[in-house]
Amino acid sequence: MRPLLVALLLVAGSAPRLTAQGDVAARLDRRVPPPVARAVTEIAAGAAARGLPVEPLVQKAIEGGAKRVAADRVIAAVRALATQLEGAAAALRASGIEHPGAGVIEGGAEALSAGLDAEQIGELARTSKVPYDPAVTLRVAATLASLGVPPKQTVDLMEAMMQAGRTPNDLLSLPTQVQEGVARGKTPAQAARGLGRGAEHAPWAHGSELPPGQTKTKTNPHKP
Amino acid sequence: MSDVFHPLVKGLLDGEATLAELPPELRAEGEEALQLLGLVDRAPVTLPAALESRVMAEVRRHAASPLRRAWRRLVEPREIELRLRIRPWAAWGGALAAAAGLALLLARVREPPAVRAVQTASRDSVYVRFVLFAPGARRVSVAGTFNEWNADAAPLVHAGRGGVWTVTLALPVGQHQYAFIVDGERWVADPAAPAVDDGFGKRNSVIAVTAQGARTL
Repeated sequence: MRPLLVALLLVAGSAPRLTAQGDVAARLDRRVPPPVARAVTEIAAGAAARGLPVEPLVQKAIEGGAKRVAADRVIAAVRALATQLEGAAAALRASGIEHPGAGVIEGGAEALSAGLDAEQIGELARTSKVPYDPAVTLRVAATLASLGVPPKQTVDLMEAMMQAGRTPNDLLSLPTQVQEGVARGKTPAQAARGLGRGAEHAPWAHGSELPPGQTKTKTNPHKP
Repeated sequence: MSDVFHPLVKGLLDGEATLAELPPELRAEGEEALQLLGLVDRAPVTLPAALESRVMAEVRRHAASPLRRAWRRLVEPREIELRLRIRPWAAWGGALAAAAGLALLLARVREPPAVRAVQTASRDSVYVRFVLFAPGARRVSVAGTFNEWNADAAPLVHAGRGGVWTVTLALPVGQHQYAFIVDGERWVADPAAPAVDDGFGKRNSVIAVTAQGARTL
């Protein structure tokens, strides 16, 4: 009787994992070559067992399949992403966030991939208190770093914006402003520095709903 | 000779009555009928030898093939006698199960999931217009995390002359990565949006959709 009970408990315990694996395999079916599907299903099962989000891995595999990337390259990218997710989860836990959500872990992984280190990720996540969403903060930081803003300067800029009480939408507009600065001939670091300098004194600093560069009352200074 | 005998005379011919039992006015007609019956040739009929074989050939021609017989067995209605012995508790159980099923069905009808999904989508989605300048392109589409990188899901339309392609999509609030696909094979990042490494050696564009609107991150 006891062996039967143990077997039933084992089957019941592994059922959700098997279902998750089946879900991943079903979603990858006909979207990626079978060897990629098998490898990604295995990677996803390992990630799920460690409490990591699986969806980004599935999305990355589907993206690779859609772009007709070589199978080994897709598998390598998914494996690298799983490693980044694990690194981000560890960094967030080390910073005091015991149970980081899937979005925060994903944002942290993107930030890690863009060049931020574990300490910077934890610091940004800790600073992002309501109304700021740590997942969004980390993703914006990742995008800024991807644009070429040095990681340290990225973290400083984000923290300065939050301490100055800027709206979450103001944070979201930062990468666009950096890109505009680069388009005008500045380096990413110079463009970000300009934003940081203007953060505390800009007229849109407190309470404005409109992000920089999108004010409707802007007038042409050259027009008489 | 009359063409039609009296019904009582017909009964005489059929052996249902005797000549004596007929009314006097019908006896002459009865005798005439019996005489006519006596004239009928009762000699055995000899059929031509070929007739039997011809008849049997015709019967075989109309006889159903085994396949047709099997088909008929399957499709032709037959009487089946079904005897059910139902215990009262089984009947009550079945009735309760049917009632529960009906209640579930009605509950689903009262709360249409499709409408709810549409309401959620309208509350949590923002319309975003994608534009790409691609002169010479035969077709352009946009794929990203919002449509599981399906290259066929969101085709752009040619907006007049000059190579401008555009499409407006309802995207859920959040951050999305995307790319344009030109002529079904060339993946290109949006030149008007910041881009990040896609992990495969190319770049994905990034867009942030908030409740207030969308902006390229």
